[in-house]
Amino acid sequence: MRHFLVMTLFAALTAFVFGGMSKETPREQVFYGLKVFAEFLAIGLVLGWILYFIP
Amino acid sequence: MVKVEKAIELKEPTPGMAWATGAAAWLVPGAGHLIIKRWVRAVLMGGSVWICFFIGLAMGGHMFDLSTGQGSGAILQVPPMIANLGSGVLYIVCWLLGIGFADDPVQAARATYEYGNTFLLIAGLLNYLTMLDAFDIAAGRKS
Repeated sequence: MRHFLVMTLFAALTAFVFGGMSKETPREQVFYGLKVFAEFLAIGLVLGWILYFIP
Repeated sequence: MVKVEKAIELKEPTPGMAWATGAAAWLVPGAGHLIIKRWVRAVLMGGSVWICFFIGLAMGGHMFDLSTGQGSGAILQVPPMIANLGSGVLYIVCWLLGIGFADDPVQAARATYEYGNTFLLIAGLLNYLTMLDAFDIAAGRKS
């Protein structure tokens, strides 16, 4: 659980910066930040499960 | 006519204020956006860097300089050092005070040691992005 929380924190902090600098309007920035955040979590979980089955 | 205007635009020198803003943004995370009065960006982007850095330190992360602590060559220390150096004054103060640079086996044995390393590296890299954003806004290349 702690690993997931750390990953979530990392994704959130990175998404703030990516969202802030990548788009023009605040609305686009929020959506892009949320997208980056979700992608970080999803990719982390997928990779975690893949590596779980690799000895 | 349009081509001539574009050529003139391209040849316009970057204002000195933009370089000063970029330098301030590197030195103190968030300061670049504060100078150009982008308060929300300063809090969100600069704040992310500060939080990332202090969480990294709290997790027992290790920062890199040119010393060859664990038998590795100095050249291998350069890429992570460049990433760490992005944190600006945070890195410099820690380096001067010797915080986060020691090769301590007890610290390295902590479960969060690698997480800490990653957070410290990412703090520096995020600040490079923040610095470029502040520079672009100050130079008028971005709204």
